[in-house]
Amino acid sequence: MTKEINVDVEHITRVEGHGNIVLNSKNGKVERVQWEVPEAPRFFEVLVNGRDYTQLAQITSRICGICSIGHTLASLKATESAMGIKISDQTLLLRKLALHGENIQSHILHVGYLVAPDLFGVGSVFPLINTDKEAVVKIVNVHRLANEICDMLCGRTTHPVTMVVGGFTKIPNKNGLTHLKSRIEETMKTAGEVVDIVLANADKLPEFTRETEYIGLTSDDEYALYDGMIGSTDTGKHEVKEYESITNEWVVPHSTAKYTKHNRESYMVGALARFNLNSAKLHPLAREVAEKFGLRAPCYNPFMNSIAQLVEIVHSMEDSMKIIDELLSRGLENEKIEINVKAGRGIGCVEVPRGILFHDYTYDKDGKCVKANCVIPTNQNHANIQKDMELFAPALLESGKTEKEVELALEMLVRAYDPCISCSTHYLNVKFR
Amino acid sequence: MALTGIKITINIDGKDYVCDPGETVLDVAKRNNIDIPTFCYNPLLIEYQRLGSCRLCLVEVISGGKPGLQSSCTLPVSTGLAVSTHSEMVYQARRSVVELLLSEHVMDCCNCGVSGNCIFARMCRDYDINGTPVCAECPNQKEGCLLQRNTLCLGPITYSGCNAYCTRKGYRCEGCFSMVQNEDILRFGLKAYRDGGFSADEILNAARIFSFDRIALLEKVMKEEGFE
Repeated sequence: MTKEINVDVEHITRVEGHGNIVLNSKNGKVERVQWEVPEAPRFFEVLVNGRDYTQLAQITSRICGICSIGHTLASLKATESAMGIKISDQTLLLRKLALHGENIQSHILHVGYLVAPDLFGVGSVFPLINTDKEAVVKIVNVHRLANEICDMLCGRTTHPVTMVVGGFTKIPNKNGLTHLKSRIEETMKTAGEVVDIVLANADKLPEFTRETEYIGLTSDDEYALYDGMIGSTDTGKHEVKEYESITNEWVVPHSTAKYTKHNRESYMVGALARFNLNSAKLHPLAREVAEKFGLRAPCYNPFMNSIAQLVEIVHSMEDSMKIIDELLSRGLENEKIEINVKAGRGIGCVEVPRGILFHDYTYDKDGKCVKANCVIPTNQNHANIQKDMELFAPALLESGKTEKEVELALEMLVRAYDPCISCSTHYLNVKFR
Repeated sequence: MALTGIKITINIDGKDYVCDPGETVLDVAKRNNIDIPTFCYNPLLIEYQRLGSCRLCLVEVISGGKPGLQSSCTLPVSTGLAVSTHSEMVYQARRSVVELLLSEHVMDCCNCGVSGNCIFARMCRDYDINGTPVCAECPNQKEGCLLQRNTLCLGPITYSGCNAYCTRKGYRCEGCFSMVQNEDILRFGLKAYRDGGFSADEILNAARIFSFDRIALLEKVMKEEGFE
């Protein structure tokens, strides 16, 4: 008797955007397993052509509704590097704080609303409200704190309005920051409880390892998010300006998103990559969280990405308090922004929740953009998802799982990467013959 | 001229309110924090001086009186009177009233003293009318207009309704509520840009992001104004 298992998930749920999983197998042998991205390309790099340097961050921040702060910062850094603009220490601190806010916001969204239902064995976060209301309320509370940080720093929770080339149009005041610090302090306990909730259900995370390359920003001074050098677990440190030799973008017929590869067939970016590269720089409480889950670098289990995100939530909260202390002790002042427009090329690179992000702009002498390139974290993960599936699917079939179980396990694998698919389909060079 | 001792009950939006004879529906509504917009109303005017001339306070009489629209500032309370302050009929009528009032209004919001606290801007927001530019809602007249800080803000030529979200935070208006189609407002806006020393190219480039379909209108007005 031949046993066929066919999985065809058209538009996997609980991820951002549209992706398909296709698996055909016969008698326990995989005939085809494929991760497809069918979403329409979005042409952002073309949209910004001819635009003034002051407009670029506002436009490119729309690439993503979740990591819009990261896109804004990458864009501003690229513009500032192209024109040789120096930012003040105060601006640097405020930007780092905003990035932490987004990191917490995005990670808690993923772990709390998208991954937790798998751990609790339900279809979405809504049934959880009936069965585990307290857990959901705690998750929402952490999310709320993250929104408060983003709102205070950026003028709103997504798509910043206060961040501009060279600095800020409006900075938070002393009282606001003091209040924010007390809010972080009181939410720290809740975050710890969320960690315990996930820990109690962590046995649902599959044991699956595949050695791969991990790429992310790395720095000698801190757990790098805003600035640093490109680090690889395979090849060490690289200058940011060499990013094209790291990403090596290529296209495949079944995906509107570009794929990337560096030292191996694929590499992974995101919380787990950052953890593997920089875990020694984590703050103490975050390190405790990692210990609780037995998470140690290097970890080759992609499902542990969600756990690395939990670790980063706690780290970002600790670091936010440190930054606020520093801001309060040095005093806040309204700074004047002065810009000399000139021609040049600049590369902006920041760690956004899903991994390392590059914006690369070239300007003419009037400050008009003539060439732009954005490399999105999810792009860099697509190839790794595919490679993981190629190894994971046969293992699932061998263990005699049913079609439904195989489907769920593959979905969980994709979800673990926290893909932001719409962001990744920004450009495709189509050639008609 | 309230008569002592006698009380009347009227019904506003399905809820009963006790009031004195001689009061108007608007008096009762204001006392009970029911939102009825007014323009010509002044609490210093006594009853017979109220003319109901702006027509913004229209309410719909449902029962206990002549059915239909009446101005609440001139409608005396009577036993069994029931009115609606926000029915579809009221909404549409008020909307038309605001549109008519705006047609005669000089929209030089950039230089207007009540910008940031403008009743027209509020009405446009509440009744979904594309009438006033962002400047009408923007408080920066008091704290320093972005145009004077050499920032190309599209507020003067962009429809209000956002409550000046970005300009309040010091960020220039990008024009996401789309460009106004009223040529007079555009002219006032261009005057502000000329004073700020901005070139036609800069303005067109900025306006193209959200108002690509209206660029022809802007170019036409620019030409008429001799804008370089």
